[in-house]
Amino acid sequence: MDRILVDFVKALRGNGVRISTSETLDAIHAVDLVGYGQRSQLKSALSLTLAKSEEEKSRFDSCFDQFFHFNSFEQFEQPTQKPPPKNPLERIISLSSSNPADNPAEAESPLGQMLMQGDGQALASAMANAASVANVRDIKVMTQKGLYGRRMMMAMGLEAMEQEMWAAEASDDLQEQALARSLRDARERLREEVKHYVERQYLLQASGESRALRESVMRETSLENLREFKDVQNLVRKLAKKLVATHSRRRKVYQRGKLDVRNTIRHNIPYSGVLLETHWKTKRVDKPKVMAICDVSGSVSQYSRFLLMFLYSLTEVISNVRAFAFSSDLQEVTQWFENENIDTAINLTLDRIGGGSTDYGQSLQTFSNLCLNQVDHRTTVIILGDARNNYGDARTELLQAIQSRARQLIWLNPESRLRWGSGDSEMKRYKPYCSWAEPCQSLNQLERFIGNLLRYNQ
Amino acid sequence: MKNDFSVEQIKSGFAQSGYICNDNIAMTMFLAHQLEKPVLVEGPPGVGKTELAKATAQFLNWDLIRLQCYEGLDEAKALYEWKYGKQLLYTQVLKDKLGDLLKGAHGLAESIDRLHEFGDIFYSEQFLEPRPLLQALQAEQGTVLLIDEIDKADNEFESFLLEMLSDYQISIPEIGTIKARRHPIVFLTSNNTRELSDALKRRCLHLFIPFPDATLERSIIQSRVPGINDKLRQQLVGFVQEVRKLDLKKQPAISETIDWARTLLLLHSESLSPELVETTLNVLLKHEEDINNVKDDMRSLFNKLFKS
Repeated sequence: MDRILVDFVKALRGNGVRISTSETLDAIHAVDLVGYGQRSQLKSALSLTLAKSEEEKSRFDSCFDQFFHFNSFEQFEQPTQKPPPKNPLERIISLSSSNPADNPAEAESPLGQMLMQGDGQALASAMANAASVANVRDIKVMTQKGLYGRRMMMAMGLEAMEQEMWAAEASDDLQEQALARSLRDARERLREEVKHYVERQYLLQASGESRALRESVMRETSLENLREFKDVQNLVRKLAKKLVATHSRRRKVYQRGKLDVRNTIRHNIPYSGVLLETHWKTKRVDKPKVMAICDVSGSVSQYSRFLLMFLYSLTEVISNVRAFAFSSDLQEVTQWFENENIDTAINLTLDRIGGGSTDYGQSLQTFSNLCLNQVDHRTTVIILGDARNNYGDARTELLQAIQSRARQLIWLNPESRLRWGSGDSEMKRYKPYCSWAEPCQSLNQLERFIGNLLRYNQ
Repeated sequence: MKNDFSVEQIKSGFAQSGYICNDNIAMTMFLAHQLEKPVLVEGPPGVGKTELAKATAQFLNWDLIRLQCYEGLDEAKALYEWKYGKQLLYTQVLKDKLGDLLKGAHGLAESIDRLHEFGDIFYSEQFLEPRPLLQALQAEQGTVLLIDEIDKADNEFESFLLEMLSDYQISIPEIGTIKARRHPIVFLTSNNTRELSDALKRRCLHLFIPFPDATLERSIIQSRVPGINDKLRQQLVGFVQEVRKLDLKKQPAISETIDWARTLLLLHSESLSPELVETTLNVLLKHEEDINNVKDDMRSLFNKLFKS
């Protein structure tokens, strides 16, 4: 049974649940204690040992239901007691054995016997065995379904059964011919069932790997082509989380080895000045503030959804983010981003502010009026936009004012460097005032940017 | 020397001490006890994470040792501290005895050698002030160790716990490794204000307690507020379950449902009415905005619950 468990773990991993070897061992111990008898108990025991977050729990649930669909335990325990044959296996059995008209002869081959006798338990475990002999778990692409199905049938002893079937067909005996008919019937149904089994295995095992593939492709794809919103959302959240995981670790730094003399002396007064209790110097690293300004005008419409998504993930993981959006004029959207869910927040922003013609000058002016005095040496200002200003006044002096107050000013541009400064793009003029100006066309570039940000932002 | 009990026994044992739980939670306790693994309990505030540890202690008749985590919690507060005062006193005593000790020693080297024989005494177990973690390890009886709100503590502290969680031992630099006399059952709770490290999660069983469904919540109310009549209990739980579906800042938890039930009992109410709900809503909801939201939706809520 451990084998089944290991397969299940593999399927879970494929579906994005991270499981270490020690957790697999825990699961095996837990199953030893609980047994396979009761499905619900097995499920909670496995869930406790294998799935370690709320999200993983829900993935686990669907995976469990799919995986143990075939090996459904009621079926193992009490094979054919239920009167209405519900599952496909029992249907095979009842159909192949309900042929009372012409009393077929006894089948000789093991598979034939199994099918004719209607032993659901034996059949189910034979199928599971055949699946591991045929390495169905290794299936990678959908087109291999036929191949693995065939291998499974062979592993179950199809050859012997077919030979018996052909021999019976050739015979003149009526009983033999009836046998041949029911064997042929049973074979077709078995084939169906095996096909379904392989399909399920494919969905469980391979879809995970293909998702990893999809993810890596997605990271390289240009943002404007990214349409699979949900998956991107996950990726972006991963990036934002990474940002914060490293970030929160830097909140308090102990300066190990540096004695805080004042503090130590004060604390040792009770011990008549003998320095028993030592105090060491610590340094508190300030929580940085982030102000993010996002262009949602017509020219970047295909990107703005994505940029807002990144902005939203940032507000989710860092507490001190103020978010602004603009096209012709700027408006603070922090409220929506804090109180609404991601879809509502983004839609609200796009509806109310998005789509207009761009005016960077006016927007920078409004930003300065709103909160230039709150920009200080701890503030990181991030601007997300293409710097295309419709040949309007660029007002670079405003950007300079912001930069001089802020700790750093970061500009993420969804256009490639080559196009900066072409046409109405003011990027070349804005760039000198940015601590960082980076093209941000794919998730990979975004990730690289975050990495750099963390490295230099200590 | 493990007393064995089944999941069902745990469930009924918990129920006796007033903690009504589902199979999943009982299974957690069963596995934690059998596999000797710590349990990480997550879920929204007020669903009974801390209560679970208390119920477990009561069920096993073990001591409960509680460590409340907060930002800045360090080893000195969680594990051990040296008894500086006592050490100081002993140095004074030693000073007086110094003459006796060094009697007959010739030269400085020999004196120092003699002194060295006493040097280690000050960092031995007699001078150790055990804090919750060490208490749990030193206990002769079985103990339940509750490390509450681990997500509030710093990352450093989380890493520091790993040795304790995987091997039930702690290394103290001056003394060496202290192993648990008897493995305690460890519960860690988290409200998910911070993502916990994989290393920690890997060492624990992971239980997620969601808000209870209506049936479970009704039986919890029945057990905790026994005086309340069936009709009111039904209505009350139905109302709370509906309120949780609304988009609120803070969803009402079980503890708040219990408080509300007690309030209604005090007011001798027989059934819910919009007026009654309106006056007592602040027991259930803790934000002004939420209260206003629910008040706005009151009519439709009542229609949904009691007309159909």
